[in-house]
Amino acid sequence: MNDLDRQLTELQERFGAAVAAAPSAQALDDARVAFLGRNGEVTSVRRSIGTLPPEARPAAGKRINLAVEAMERMLGDAQVRLEARAFETELAQVVDVTYPGIEPPVGTIHPVRRITEQASAYFARHGFAVVVGPEVEPDYYTFDALNIPSDHPAREGFDSFWLTDSLLLRPHTSPMQIRTMQQHRPPVAIIAPGKCYRRDAVDARHLFQFHQIEGLLVAEGVHFGHLKGMLSGLCRELFGPEQQVRFRPSFFPFTEPSAEVDTTCPRCHGHLQRCGMCGGSGWIELGGAGMVHPNVLREVEYDPDVYSGWAFGVGVERLGLTRYGVDDIRRFINSDPDFLEQLR
Amino acid sequence: MRVPIAWLREFVDLPDDPQAVADRLAMLGFPVAEIERRPAITGVVCGRIRTLEKHPNADRLQVAGVDVGGERPLTIATAATNVAVGQTIAVATIGARLPALTIEPRKMRGIASEGMMCSAEELALPADWFEDGILQLDADLPVGRDIVGHFGLAEAVLDVEVTSNRADAMSMLGIARELAGALGSALRTPLAANPGSAADRPQALSVTLASPDCRRFVAQRFDGVRVTTAPAWMRIRLALAGQRPIDSLVDVSNYVMLEVGQPLHFYDADRIDLAHLEVRDARDGERLITLDGIDRTLTPRALVIADPHGARCIAGVMGGSDSEVGPTTASILLEAANFNGARVRRTATDLGLRSEASSRHEKALAPALTDLGAARAAALLVAQGATAQAPVAFGAAVEPPRPIALALHDVARILGIALAPARIAGHLEAVGCAVTLGEDRLAATPPPWRTDLHDAADLIEEVGRMEGYDAIAPVLPSVPAHAISSAEFRLENDLAYGLRALGYREIITHSLHGTRLFDATMRAGLVPSHTAVEVRNPLSEDQRFLRHALGPGVIEYLARLPQPLRVFEIGHVFALDEGTIDESNVLLFGFSAKPLDEPDWRDSHFLRLKGDAQELIRSLCGVRTEASADARNGLHPGKCAVLLHEGHEVATLGMVDPRLAKAFDAALPIYLANVYLDALPEYRLPRYVAPSRYPSTYRDLALVVALDVTAGAIEAAIARSLGERCTGVRVFDEYRGAQVGEGVKSIAVRVTLQRFDATITDDEADAAVAHVLAELRERFGAVIRE
Ligand SMILES: [Zn+2]
Repeated sequence: MNDLDRQLTELQERFGAAVAAAPSAQALDDARVAFLGRNGEVTSVRRSIGTLPPEARPAAGKRINLAVEAMERMLGDAQVRLEARAFETELAQVVDVTYPGIEPPVGTIHPVRRITEQASAYFARHGFAVVVGPEVEPDYYTFDALNIPSDHPAREGFDSFWLTDSLLLRPHTSPMQIRTMQQHRPPVAIIAPGKCYRRDAVDARHLFQFHQIEGLLVAEGVHFGHLKGMLSGLCRELFGPEQQVRFRPSFFPFTEPSAEVDTTCPRCHGHLQRCGMCGGSGWIELGGAGMVHPNVLREVEYDPDVYSGWAFGVGVERLGLTRYGVDDIRRFINSDPDFLEQLR
Repeated sequence: MRVPIAWLREFVDLPDDPQAVADRLAMLGFPVAEIERRPAITGVVCGRIRTLEKHPNADRLQVAGVDVGGERPLTIATAATNVAVGQTIAVATIGARLPALTIEPRKMRGIASEGMMCSAEELALPADWFEDGILQLDADLPVGRDIVGHFGLAEAVLDVEVTSNRADAMSMLGIARELAGALGSALRTPLAANPGSAADRPQALSVTLASPDCRRFVAQRFDGVRVTTAPAWMRIRLALAGQRPIDSLVDVSNYVMLEVGQPLHFYDADRIDLAHLEVRDARDGERLITLDGIDRTLTPRALVIADPHGARCIAGVMGGSDSEVGPTTASILLEAANFNGARVRRTATDLGLRSEASSRHEKALAPALTDLGAARAAALLVAQGATAQAPVAFGAAVEPPRPIALALHDVARILGIALAPARIAGHLEAVGCAVTLGEDRLAATPPPWRTDLHDAADLIEEVGRMEGYDAIAPVLPSVPAHAISSAEFRLENDLAYGLRALGYREIITHSLHGTRLFDATMRAGLVPSHTAVEVRNPLSEDQRFLRHALGPGVIEYLARLPQPLRVFEIGHVFALDEGTIDESNVLLFGFSAKPLDEPDWRDSHFLRLKGDAQELIRSLCGVRTEASADARNGLHPGKCAVLLHEGHEVATLGMVDPRLAKAFDAALPIYLANVYLDALPEYRLPRYVAPSRYPSTYRDLALVVALDVTAGAIEAAIARSLGERCTGVRVFDEYRGAQVGEGVKSIAVRVTLQRFDATITDDEADAAVAHVLAELRERFGAVIRE
């Protein structure tokens, strides 16, 4: 064994020890620089080849290269070992997943909009547009054009806030029927959500400011069965697939035939004598509906012998009481943070 | 309307179960709000008091021998004081069940009592509507008759809702008629013959109809009238129907009104001038003391029945006390009239006098009903011993209803069910129409009582009602294409969901308010900048004004809550502008927040609000907006900005004026942004620009400038100076203080440079920045901070 061999063996041993002891990637790299770097110990050994006789140099060079390869293998092995140890440490970390999550700023949509949106989406799927309009209306749109002349006893049902002799806060969204039909020739398929106002005493079931969704479909061949079909679908959309709908004869001046629309009580489905939601009847009032009165069609210059249509109006907060099991309708306008949080 | 089922049974055969009757009515369009079930009462029979003696062992008891049809009279001890031999009374026999007790044999002070004489209350009738003590029955009632069945005491009472078009159904007869038609049963109509018809036409009875608002007036005189207590059967029926019995005359008029629907009025015939009656407009200022004792001053809006001495009765509303019938009345004049409903309604509303009678007159009562009403009253009065003169009708003869044409195919076109022509005709006949069926159309003549049937649509509704809405199958329509836009609704919804994503909660507040919000503005020392729209007929003071902005309501909402909150509302606001009402849709969002420990020239809450507003508009409209300092009533003068898009104002934002916040008792500072939905630009489609393939470089500059040089001005100047090489410029810090000196501030800005045709070199970047700095020095006196 010559000097070079001895020297390289000793170098390899020392490198092996340094690499094995290296606690980190940085220490490993330090060792690599010290031994294999540009100015490292291997370089000094390589330089010493110059002192050998020329015929011995190739063998010495080969010998040095073998040693370097071995050292690089050691280095590689050590790197793999170190990495494995690092993963082992990281993977040993355990957090308490039940510790409360960090809350982002939470936005919420008012339940009135939620219901309106869902109803709109349902009607939009069936080809209806969603239109909005003013809350201050002339009595023409509110009553006269809807076949409710002044002194008609039906005006009793719409106790309104008046602003001038002829302007009032709309007590229902039905003016949008007239506005839409005056702007468009048939076919017309709309729903019109919006705020309404009535001079009602406020209690757990009544608000003087509330929201309605109006619906109107006028075209050739539209009949009462279509009204039942669409409103049954709406109830299933809002309350679930088992929902039943009942139509009872009623009276509204702007529709004929007219109907009150009920839907099965989503809480008890008619199986509870003392249900707080439906009072034991098993039915919840949804709203009024009917076939558009020929006088209303004539008013907007639609020919009632050619076109027919239906309209309906439902109270959004009323739907909300049922949908969310809310005990008092005033909660919708009080908008307490807790209410919004629960129904978000 | 309270409808005792027992009363209905007089006119039509009905199922036993009240629920079945109620369901049937509901599906005919008469919803039953409540089924009042009466307590079960059994074992009560009619008895006649044969003997009455003092109880041997008790001063306050009497012992009666009561004939109940058995082999011997029952011995009954009673403490009641209104008993006498010969009286007909209700006897609860041994084993009888009353609401409060079961009758058992018992000894009363040594005498075995074999039953109990009943008071009204013991039969579950309102105690204070009947005589104290034992209820007095009618003498012609056979002894032993079961009282409960006879008077229908245990039968349910329905609370039936009648829609305003169905004046004909505002009575027992009307409801019974509906049920008979629907059930296909016979209707037993009350006798329409007037017992006075055979009598002579009275001399000196004349009613002039001086107003077209009285279409028909049936007048009939009765003599030998005695005001007393009405028969028990009548009083019990009235009580079950919710009408308090008063006396034999008032009860007759109420009974007839409830039975057939015609309101009546009785005058004391000796206190009015029968020969010169007139139905006319009230004179302006004319006075009348009405039955309730109130001295009323009338206007010509009211219709009155008058004689030469003045108004005697307000038509359809209330009579005068001068001509009121009373204990001394011997002769009466009956009025069964038909008035214009709108006129009655207006008058009743004017006078604040709504009654059972006026609420019937208000609807379209059939003119022919006057004759039936008079006939029924005459029959009842004659049964009470009065003598009827002949009824006299004034006004036009009752016109027979005209036939209505119906094209048969329209039934299917509207209802969506194909019915055989005979079936359609059958349904119309069931509601009383006379039908002539043709090839493809029919003619239906409505019955006289159905004043609401005018045209084909009315007939189609009747067909649908009789067939039952349940028979119509639900189907989904295929909606034809149309061009109606949903854009406005879409925008509102997108804004709401955009704000939700930014962490805001949607609220709804009142559109109507009182002076509270206005007062707060005044307290804050601010001058309201608008004229509020006023409501003419608010229910309460806090409904007097329409909101002109969402701000006050939202501030009030936030001030109510102790914790910081982020909220928004979308709603209409109203302003009076030269006599017209301007209505616009606005969005308000903002928050209450804990004050931050920041120097007075920085407010991160404001910046957060501005960032949210710009992001919201960007995401919805696809456009960027610029902020510009501004001043707005209600906002802090140094923390207020408008957002501009192409020079148009689309939003206002800032910190709520602390004086205003205090006026609302807000504990925390409030920041609000107002977005004008009508002013938002249409969504602008972005154009894609591919990023440069060459790397960018950046330079951070710390510029010392005067305090009035804004970040926006510096950014704009840099961007303009660098031109298209500048791909980003953003101020990221500001510093004021000792390190830069008085009167100036340091602004840190990062400038990003990039070329599209080659890699930008450091030398090129440095040269460009040097050029910018020279320009900034010239324009703003900006120097690089050392
Ligand atoms: Zn229920």
